[in-house]
Amino acid sequence: MKRTIMMSAAAVAAATLVLAGCSSGTDNDSGGGGEVTGEVTITLAGWSLTTTPEFQVLADAFHEENPNITVEVLEYDATEYDTQMIADLAAGTAPDMYVLKNLKNFVTYQDGGQLLDVSSVAAELGDDVNGVDAYTVDDVTYAIPYRQDAWYLYYNQDLFDAAGVAQPDGSWTWDDYATAAEALTAGLSAAGSDAKGTYQHGWQSVVQGFANAQADGADLLSGDWEYLMPYYERAVALQDAGAQVDFGTLTTNSLTYQSQFGTQQAAMMPMGSWYVATLLAQQASGEADAFNWAFAPAPQLDDSTTGEPVTFADPTGIGINPAVSDEVAAASMEFLTFVGSEAAASALAEIGITPAITNDAVTETFFGIEGIPTDELSQFTFSTHDVRPENPVDLNTVALQNILGDAHTAIMSGSVSPADGIAEAMDRAASEIG
Amino acid sequence: MATTVAPAPTRAPRQRPPGSRLKLRNTFIGWTFILPNFIGFAVLTLVPVLILFYLAFTSWNVFGAAEWVGLENFQDLITDRTFHTALRNTGYYALMHIPLTLAVSLGLALLLNTKLRGVAFFRTVAFFPYITSIVAIAVVWNMLFSPETGPVNQFLMALGIDNPPGWTTSTTWAMPAVALVSTWRDMGYYMLLFLAGLQAIPGELYEAARVDGANKIQRFWNVTVPSLRPTTFFVTVMLTIASFKIFDLILVMTDGGPGTATLVLSQYIYRKGFEEQQFGYASAVAIVLFVICITVTVFQFLINKRRDR
Amino acid sequence: MATLTLDRPQAATPRPERDARRRRSVLGTIVLYVVLIAAAAVIMLPFFWMVTSSLKTNNQVFTVPIQWFPDPVVWSNYVDIWAKSDMSTWLRNTLILSVTVTFLQVFTGSFAAYGFSKMRFPGRDVLFLAYIGTIAVPWQAYMIPQFILMSRFGLSNTLWAIIALQAFGAFGVFLMKQYYDSIPEELSEAARIDGLSEYSIWRRIVLPLSGPAVATLTLLTFVNTWNDYLGPLIYLRDRDLWTIQIGLKTFVSQYNAEYALIMTGSVLSVLPIAIIFMLGQRYFVQGIATAGLKG
Repeated sequence: MKRTIMMSAAAVAAATLVLAGCSSGTDNDSGGGGEVTGEVTITLAGWSLTTTPEFQVLADAFHEENPNITVEVLEYDATEYDTQMIADLAAGTAPDMYVLKNLKNFVTYQDGGQLLDVSSVAAELGDDVNGVDAYTVDDVTYAIPYRQDAWYLYYNQDLFDAAGVAQPDGSWTWDDYATAAEALTAGLSAAGSDAKGTYQHGWQSVVQGFANAQADGADLLSGDWEYLMPYYERAVALQDAGAQVDFGTLTTNSLTYQSQFGTQQAAMMPMGSWYVATLLAQQASGEADAFNWAFAPAPQLDDSTTGEPVTFADPTGIGINPAVSDEVAAASMEFLTFVGSEAAASALAEIGITPAITNDAVTETFFGIEGIPTDELSQFTFSTHDVRPENPVDLNTVALQNILGDAHTAIMSGSVSPADGIAEAMDRAASEIG
Repeated sequence: MATTVAPAPTRAPRQRPPGSRLKLRNTFIGWTFILPNFIGFAVLTLVPVLILFYLAFTSWNVFGAAEWVGLENFQDLITDRTFHTALRNTGYYALMHIPLTLAVSLGLALLLNTKLRGVAFFRTVAFFPYITSIVAIAVVWNMLFSPETGPVNQFLMALGIDNPPGWTTSTTWAMPAVALVSTWRDMGYYMLLFLAGLQAIPGELYEAARVDGANKIQRFWNVTVPSLRPTTFFVTVMLTIASFKIFDLILVMTDGGPGTATLVLSQYIYRKGFEEQQFGYASAVAIVLFVICITVTVFQFLINKRRDR
Repeated sequence: MATLTLDRPQAATPRPERDARRRRSVLGTIVLYVVLIAAAAVIMLPFFWMVTSSLKTNNQVFTVPIQWFPDPVVWSNYVDIWAKSDMSTWLRNTLILSVTVTFLQVFTGSFAAYGFSKMRFPGRDVLFLAYIGTIAVPWQAYMIPQFILMSRFGLSNTLWAIIALQAFGAFGVFLMKQYYDSIPEELSEAARIDGLSEYSIWRRIVLPLSGPAVATLTLLTFVNTWNDYLGPLIYLRDRDLWTIQIGLKTFVSQYNAEYALIMTGSVLSVLPIAIIFMLGQRYFVQGIATAGLKG
């Protein structure tokens, strides 16, 4: 017994020691007071470096302009990025700068004091940088976005022709989309193909992301989610009508969206802008079939917003670890200034990334990529849209998204009706978040 | 835990005078045996675990100091409905998985503890599910269980069952499906432990029983079962704890869905800790899980001790 | 028990009865083999799928309905994987870790188990419960405090971290202790009378008797270290420290649609273990061979 008591005493002592150590990193907010004098090497965390060249592209382009500063990119795991980063920051072994892989976890780092104030960099950025607001809390900016994806509607022009259905013209609402999906399924079936009208991947974003961005009075944080109803009813109806692979088949057969659209199993697919580069690469390598395709704005709630279509996606930004020295902080600030510039945007557009700046010059670079559809609607889709962040910056966001994620699988698998599923989620939100 | 503190000196080495010097000497020698392992264990596992116990009473969010909140986390657990669901699901899973795996793995061990030709091959086969990549396991079993196109349901329909279950896409059947796959995966592992235990039984015991005229079934109950008790105890404890801690298979097969039908405690801990950064709260859930496991274990320990006498 | 039918006739059994039993026994053996082979086929199905998928093109891996046989057979995956990945580095690291961890776990575990099983001293049971207690705590709940601690020791991002993490677990101690418990006390008593020290008893009497348990512990520790994913993921950042499991997972995220290649890697990662198991499991025939008993 005595030994147990001794051991717990030792543990509490150790705990205090360990945990006291963690907070030390947050004390020396340097605020960028230092100056870069000699040669400096700063580190940046990225993931899957061989297939995600964007970090190295930024590092190289920056080094060319600032030869005295070298940016070394460190590799983290793509799926467990945040787990690794949280561990590293807690233990004080994190790199100088890190990418905020998704906005959902930004608040963790910001609220935990793990991001340096970069408002001075933000103040110098041009007005056309998208997504800066998402990283601004109480008028202080904590990260600079370099890419801003957006969800589009991809469509297979050959399959539309085969089914004899009119291609999207930029004025589509969700009802037009649903009608087209059913017409396509019927038309393709008549033409002897077993491809479906559309493919909606299993993620909750595919339904909820659009609803949160478009529906009247939509507010994820309110916990009042009645506005999801029409979106879910439509998704379930499409599935019941056979115009889309049902959720059960999709999850149990681990369908990938790349092969569903890439091998012409579906004529349409709502998906994020990152898929442009993937599809181009897969068509070039022969992994995807060779067919004509293009992308259109995401379908809208009604036709009032077709002039500047409302869509969603989170920005991706870079922040600075506050535990760095003044000199490294100053060098990192310079890197962030570059990250928000048009030069960086063009460098990214060249490799198929949708940068945070999409002005005419960047659009031109983007559509100069070989094999990309250059029709007017695709260009309009890329350059003109009102993109809303998927995740509001709030401490409760992740918990609420988890609840909504559960509701998504319950509804889409047909275990509960949309009405019951949403009611259950609202109940849980009220009881857990209050 | 006070009940287990007192050591049982009843079976101390005989023919030696009991005395404090001997006791001291025994303690010293005992510790030298344990120490090489214990140093590593204490520093790297025990201390972090004890820190966890401390954290359960704080609102630690991984960054910054851990603020003491007393029993607040535990009070919140009382009204946390998702926690209740996870608790219920974990219990349901354990209830299916423990007896099933125990029976299957013991059966396999008895069957493969023979001079049968090719036994090495069949043992390896039984162990294969345990070493096959968990991603492949999830992919294949999900596919087999696919409600429309899966071989399992096509077979059931061929048997004349019109409305076969939706398995991993159904809130009712997802958990039994996971428990089944989990048994399939673990059986080779526990079979191996049972095999080692069966090997420890001295052949003379069987010979003696045979001489006494005991038939196969009597020999099983009167020789195998009692001699296997330390192994059975070990397997039961490990299996119980592992069942309550089930995590990776659920994550890849259903990710807790559909809805919260297969959400289990370990996954809830991960969600609360790594996704929502409520490490204090997650630690409290971990302690509940710990208390459940340790209660069951102490219970099994006591039963085992009583039978030993 | 199906084993009942396996009882081989004793030499002393009278002839007529022996013939009847032999006929029954042959029939039983055939039935048993049929059942075993059928069960083996079902058990191996996912592995079979893994192998055939590794011989497909990527877009053939997931299809509705499932395609069990590759057409055409793509052997090139087994060549490509060596060029596209650092497979040899991963295999080397994993092997180093598995061997070291297994050795340390078996050695310190069986040593400590002797203290728990054969020695009696105050506090022993509490200590043992502390061991079991830590098994009951989910690792993901205390991995951050542990990571901070390890980083303080300068161990993170080295192979030592994984060795330290895995080698001193409670599992080996528990397993060996339970096995030692079933070794009759009389054996060590006799040795004590002969004047052997406790260390000699462990080395000369108890350890040689525990072949199957050591084999089990070796196999299971080896497999668990080999297949560990979360541990290396948290502790190993440098590419040249990666193990096979992180390597494969990175592969999944890097070549996110290249499932054929991922399955190729999975098959390659399973093979060494399967071979080690095949070799290791022969330690489970000793007892039967000497005692000549069944079931």
